[in-house]
Amino acid sequence: MSTADRARDALARLVDASATERVLISTAALVLSVLIGAVLVLVAGRMTTCTVGEAVYYFGTGFCYDPVVVFDRLFLGALGDPFSGGWSPNGQFAVTLRESTLLLFTGLSVALAFRAGIFNIGTQGQMVVGALATALGVLWASSLVSGALGTVVLIPFGLFVGAVFGGLYGAVPGLLKAYADANEVITTIMLNFIATGIALYLVSGVFKDPESAANQTVPLPEFAQFPALLFGAQQDFSIVALGFGLLAVVALYYVLEHTAFGYDVRTSGVQPEAAEYGGVDAKRTVVASLTLSGALGGIAGAMYVMMVLGTFQTGIPAYGFDGITVSILAGNNPLGVGVAALLFGVLKSGTTVVQFATDVPPQLVGVLRGLIILFVAMPEFFRLLARGLPGTGSKPEAVATDGGAAGDRGGEADE
Amino acid sequence: MSDAPADRADADTAPGDDDAGFLEGYTTRALVGGVTVAAVVALLLAGLLFPDSLAGTLADALTSRNTLAAALRLSVPIAFAALGGIFAEKSGVINIGLEGLLIISAFSAIYVADVTGGVWIGFAGGVAASTLLAALFAVVTIGFRADQIIAGLAVWLIALGLAPFASQVIYGSPNTPTVATSPSINVPVLADLPFFGALFSASPSVYLLFAAVFGSWYVFERTAFGRWIRASGENPKALDTAGVSVTRVRYAAVLISGVLAGMGGAALSLDLGQFTGNGPTMVNGKGFIAIVAYLFGNYNPVGAFLSTMLFAGLDAVQTVLQLQGIGIPRQLIRITPFVVVIIVLALVGRTRLPEAAGEHYETEE
Repeated sequence: MSTADRARDALARLVDASATERVLISTAALVLSVLIGAVLVLVAGRMTTCTVGEAVYYFGTGFCYDPVVVFDRLFLGALGDPFSGGWSPNGQFAVTLRESTLLLFTGLSVALAFRAGIFNIGTQGQMVVGALATALGVLWASSLVSGALGTVVLIPFGLFVGAVFGGLYGAVPGLLKAYADANEVITTIMLNFIATGIALYLVSGVFKDPESAANQTVPLPEFAQFPALLFGAQQDFSIVALGFGLLAVVALYYVLEHTAFGYDVRTSGVQPEAAEYGGVDAKRTVVASLTLSGALGGIAGAMYVMMVLGTFQTGIPAYGFDGITVSILAGNNPLGVGVAALLFGVLKSGTTVVQFATDVPPQLVGVLRGLIILFVAMPEFFRLLARGLPGTGSKPEAVATDGGAAGDRGGEADE
Repeated sequence: MSDAPADRADADTAPGDDDAGFLEGYTTRALVGGVTVAAVVALLLAGLLFPDSLAGTLADALTSRNTLAAALRLSVPIAFAALGGIFAEKSGVINIGLEGLLIISAFSAIYVADVTGGVWIGFAGGVAASTLLAALFAVVTIGFRADQIIAGLAVWLIALGLAPFASQVIYGSPNTPTVATSPSINVPVLADLPFFGALFSASPSVYLLFAAVFGSWYVFERTAFGRWIRASGENPKALDTAGVSVTRVRYAAVLISGVLAGMGGAALSLDLGQFTGNGPTMVNGKGFIAIVAYLFGNYNPVGAFLSTMLFAGLDAVQTVLQLQGIGIPRQLIRITPFVVVIIVLALVGRTRLPEAAGEHYETEE
């Protein structure tokens, strides 16, 4: 059985789980990860030192970190503390929406590839390439136009540049997979390292802003950046960008579900042999879906440059890897990505609040990301849990419906 | 490294695989090996003729004893992880989380060594941490039938967050303080040989690696357990019929992969005396390079070691070149191993995975 077959096999299993069950599993995975995160915070609180006054006490034992405070800050803090008054449209909530906007694109990027049976772990690298191209392209074009007209022209132009370069970079593993049979998981991870290395080389050399100590390009003029309408001015958030993101969600949903290309993608993802038999050009579908996936990653990079930083700087945060979590959490459904991106935006934005309010290291969210992926990947675990619980009438049915798909070898008969 | 192709050819024929995909892979491998050797020989000749040219500098770098020493040192974590990957994947479980196992063991080794003051206790601590994480991976993929690729990815991401998190909690920084390192072992007389002397004057972890390569080869070629692992990956049903539990063999193989990767990660950090956890951490993709190394080595421990030496040798040469101030920018030289991995993967192309790799096996009762 080839890698591709296996990937599709796994996908078939994921897709076959009913929608309700998927929502239940994702929620359970999230809750369980938060619980384990709480234990981790407690354990970490035992391993570090603090004064008696700072410590909190649970079960008669003192801990340096308080998980209740951590998760209160993580979730309520990210929403700008809606229950304690003084909520401001320019507060932390705007940061949450900003993070969600970027995660929408990286999440959609991963989801699209997943639907075609491809694990695109290279969204991060495609985002870096798109971001750098946008920063340089828009900088060049901004000398030609200015003012409000400049904004109207430059933003679509910047998104286009980001999409093209991200798409080209995504096409590389696509071509390698289609024509050289190189495993995309490995190639995309390698291409992430390569993108970061080349970006560092270019930005610390030829394209470096001579006025800055950091490795960054010359900042874009104000009119070449997303305008802050209504709210988010101080938090580098633009509702226009979020609008683009929601549009992308709907558009990708439509493309996947209602177009011939979407049909090709979905069938190659679920039933590759049937797709080929039905006349789908498998190689072309692989290249096309990875290119489109890369383009979405590139747009995320363009957004990051034109909305958040206003320049390209090395060390782009791991939105691409978070996109994997978002997509897996959403069951690779574009509409689900909308919800999961908001949820993960809360986690990302809450991290900074936690950092301000407590001494807990921000890498905690990185651990949560891994745990969420792990739990979503093992629906079997939750089915067992559900089977163990008394009085859950609807559960056994869900298990049986999926039994055939999960077992793959007459699981129905075994049950 | 000039005798690599002959060894690799031996390594390739040893497992006795016999399908069309294998023959295809064999010729590309031979081609890649042949081209590499031809290039090296041409370079050495050119260097001999024109000692002052770029070729001369490169030839010096290649024949330098320091290069071999550096290549051996750099290959330790990659080769250990690759051996671990072979055990897991041959048994039918694709362990893409090797990177995570390296990260967690690299940190734990330093932490335990720092607390206890013993380098070898630290080493054991690193191996234990990696084995625990591998056990979690085994339970998730074998026990709960999770998708192996996604679960492996999760293992990587968990370790990528957990190690710097723990370092930050304990030491207040993602980088640990330095601990004592163990001195290198010198074999008298042999250590004074030119070039090959580096083989006999190395850190203990290098000798441990030699032992592990031989041990893994022995297990696969000469023991019943090795045959079970292979059967569990190629034809689990036959193994089941023969009365051996596929589940147990797979658990054992994944745990062994944890032990081996743990040795690699612990050796990596303990040889330097520090764990650095910024960005992609000090492991920086070595676990993924290990996967390519064993694919290129056709799941043979010796083959995996030789292809690791190829990657590590390249890395070592680039370090020497950097020190000599050749006009290639540092940032670009640094990405060469990753580029080479892609090229190798593109050339080797279809690697023949064990028949049942990635599939869950359902015992029929």
